[in-house]
Amino acid sequence: MGTETKSQTTTAQKFQALILDIFFGIYFVVTLHRVFYYQVLLSLRKLPPVTVEIVLLYIGIGTILGLALFVLNASPGKLIFRQLPDIPWKKAVAEHFLWIIGVLTIATGWVVTRVSILDFFSQEGLAGAKRIFSALLSPEWSILPQALLAIVETIYLALMATLFALPVAFILSFFTARNLMRQSPITLGIYTVLRVLVNFTRSIEPLIWAIIFTVWVGIGPFAGTLALMVHTIASLTKLYSEQIENVDPGPIEAIEATGAHPMQVIWFAVVPQIVLPFLSFTIYRWDINVRMATIIGLVGGGGIGTLLMQYQGLAQWHEVGLLVLIIAIVVWIMDYLSARIREALV
Amino acid sequence: MALIELRKLNKIYPNGVHALVDVDLTVQEGEFLVVIGLSGSGKSTLLRCINRLIEPTSGQILYRGQDVTHIQGKDLRQYRKKIGMIFQQFNLIKRRTVLLNVLTGALGSLPVLPSILERFPDNLRQEAMEKLRIVGLEDKWNVRVDALSGGQQQRVAIARSLMQHPEVLLADEPVASLDPATSHSVMKYLKQLNTDYGMTIICNLHFLSLVRTYGTRVVALKQGKLIFQGKPEEITQEWFKEIYGEEAEEVEIA
Ligand SMILES: Nc1ncnc2c1ncn2[C@@H]1O[C@H](COP(=O)(O)OP(=O)(O)O)[C@@H](O)[C@H]1O
Ligand SMILES: [Mg+2]
Repeated sequence: MGTETKSQTTTAQKFQALILDIFFGIYFVVTLHRVFYYQVLLSLRKLPPVTVEIVLLYIGIGTILGLALFVLNASPGKLIFRQLPDIPWKKAVAEHFLWIIGVLTIATGWVVTRVSILDFFSQEGLAGAKRIFSALLSPEWSILPQALLAIVETIYLALMATLFALPVAFILSFFTARNLMRQSPITLGIYTVLRVLVNFTRSIEPLIWAIIFTVWVGIGPFAGTLALMVHTIASLTKLYSEQIENVDPGPIEAIEATGAHPMQVIWFAVVPQIVLPFLSFTIYRWDINVRMATIIGLVGGGGIGTLLMQYQGLAQWHEVGLLVLIIAIVVWIMDYLSARIREALV
Repeated sequence: MALIELRKLNKIYPNGVHALVDVDLTVQEGEFLVVIGLSGSGKSTLLRCINRLIEPTSGQILYRGQDVTHIQGKDLRQYRKKIGMIFQQFNLIKRRTVLLNVLTGALGSLPVLPSILERFPDNLRQEAMEKLRIVGLEDKWNVRVDALSGGQQQRVAIARSLMQHPEVLLADEPVASLDPATSHSVMKYLKQLNTDYGMTIICNLHFLSLVRTYGTRVVALKQGKLIFQGKPEEITQEWFKEIYGEEAEEVEIA
C-alpha cells in the first residue's frame, strides 16, 4: 500500500514536471522572439501582428524544446520538484535555463510597462512634476467646507458598509467554520458551497464591485456602500470563521456534555471565545473601508473620491491638493484610533 | 441490572488509529470505577463514547438496559443530562463568573431562548449557590473563573456537573494538572459524591496510589484493549509491568 501511493505521487509529479517543462519551453520561445529579438535587438516600436501560424509555431517549437529537456533529464520542471538525477552538467543546463527564463521575464516586464528613464527625467516631465507638486503643496482652502462634507460622507459610507456587513458575516462565519460544519455530509456540503462563494466574492476587488453596482443602482454613495458591504461581508466572514476554527474545543465538549442544545453550545462555549477578536477585526475593517471608500469614489461611488475625480478632470490641482491633504489626515486619524482601540481590546 | 454496559465497543478515528478494540465493560450503580493505562491507551476515548461525545465505530452502549448507541437529537441530550463530566483542563468559560459557569450545568433542562438571554430562574441560582457550597466555593460566586487556582476551577467544574443531577460522573484525568495536595482535595470531593450521594463515578487516573485510595474497582486499557479488571489491591507488580511496560517504575503521590 505504502509503495503504491509513493509511485502514484511520483507519476503525478512527473506529469506536473512535464507540464512545467512544456510551459517553460513555449514561454521561452515567445519571450525570446517577441521581446528579446524584436524589441531589444531590433528596437522595434511596433511589433508585427500575431497570426495563427505564428502562434502554432510558438507552441510547436516550445513543446519540442520542453519535451527535449524533459527526456534528456535536463528538465527545469524536474529540478523544481527535486527529481533530477544527480548528473552535474544536466543539472547545470536546467539551472541555466531557469536563469534565462528569469532574465527574459524581467526584460518582458520592462518592455510591457514601458519603463523609460528618459521619460522620467525629461525636461517636460520634470516641469510637469514641478507644476503638480507645487499645486498640491499650496492647496485651495476655499473648497474646505465642500471637502469636509464629502469626507464625512465617505466616513459614513464606510461605517454603514461595515455595520450592515457585520450581522451577515457573523451568521455566515458559523456556517463557514470547518470545526462546526464537519458533523454531517449535509453541513459539510453547505460549508463547501459557502466557502467557495465567500472566497470568490473576496477575490473581486471592491473597485470592481463598485463598477458593477453603479450600473445596477446608479452612480452615487449607495453604489459605493453596496460595493464595500459585499466585499466586507466576504472578508469578515473569512476572518471570523478562522477565529471560530481556532477556538478551544474543551468548553464545547463540556457544554455538550451537559445535554445542552447546539444553539446553547454555540452561545456559551463558542461566542465568549470570539467576541473580542471579532470586535477587533470589525474595527480594523472599518478603518480599511474608510481608505477604500476614498478610492471607490473615483468610479462614482460617492464621497470624497468622486469630488477628487471631478477636480482632477478639470486639472484644478490646487483643489486636488486640498482633497489629498484631507484624505491623508482622516486616514491617519482612523488608522491611529483603530490601532489604539484594538490594543485596548486584546 | 447493570447501569452501563459496553459490548464489543470499537473506535477507529478517521486517521486510522484504532483507539478502542472490542471493549466489553459493565459498570454497576454506585461504583467508583477507575480506568488506568498509558497515555494514548484510549482512556479519554472510552469515557467520551459513554456520553457519546465521540461516536463509536461499532459495538453497543446500553444504559439501564436501553440501547443508546445511536440515539440522536433530543433523546441524546436527555441522555447526556444524566451523565456529568469533568476534564483535565476544567473546560470552563474563562471570562465569565463562577456562578454563570455553574449555571451552564443546567442548560439541558432550560429552554433555548431564555437561557441564551441568561434569564435563569431564581430557584436555579439558589441551587447553583448550594452546589458551590458543596465544593466550598460559595464566597467566590462572583469571581471570574480565570482568576481562580486550578484546584478551585476543578471544583467549579464539579459544581457545574452537579447542576445536571447526574446519575454518573465521568472524570477524565481530573487531577492531572494539579499539584499533589490539591489533587487529594479534588479526589475527596469525588469520593464524597460517591459515598454520600451514591453517585456512580468513572474516573481516568494516572497515579496508582490515587487508584488504591479512591477506587472501588479498576480496569486497565492497553493499546485500546481492556486487559485487566479487578480490585485496586489486585494490581500486582506483574500486572503493573504488563500495563505500563517493563521500564515503568511506580511513583508515589504524597
Ligand atoms: N480526535 C482524534 N483523532 C485521531 N486520533 C485520535 C483522536 N483522539 C485520540 N486519538 C488517538 O487515539 C488514541 C487514544 O487516545 P486517547 O483516548 O486520548 O488516550 P488516553 O486518554 O488514554 O491518553 C491515541 O493514539 C490518540 O493519538
Ligand atoms: Mg486522555
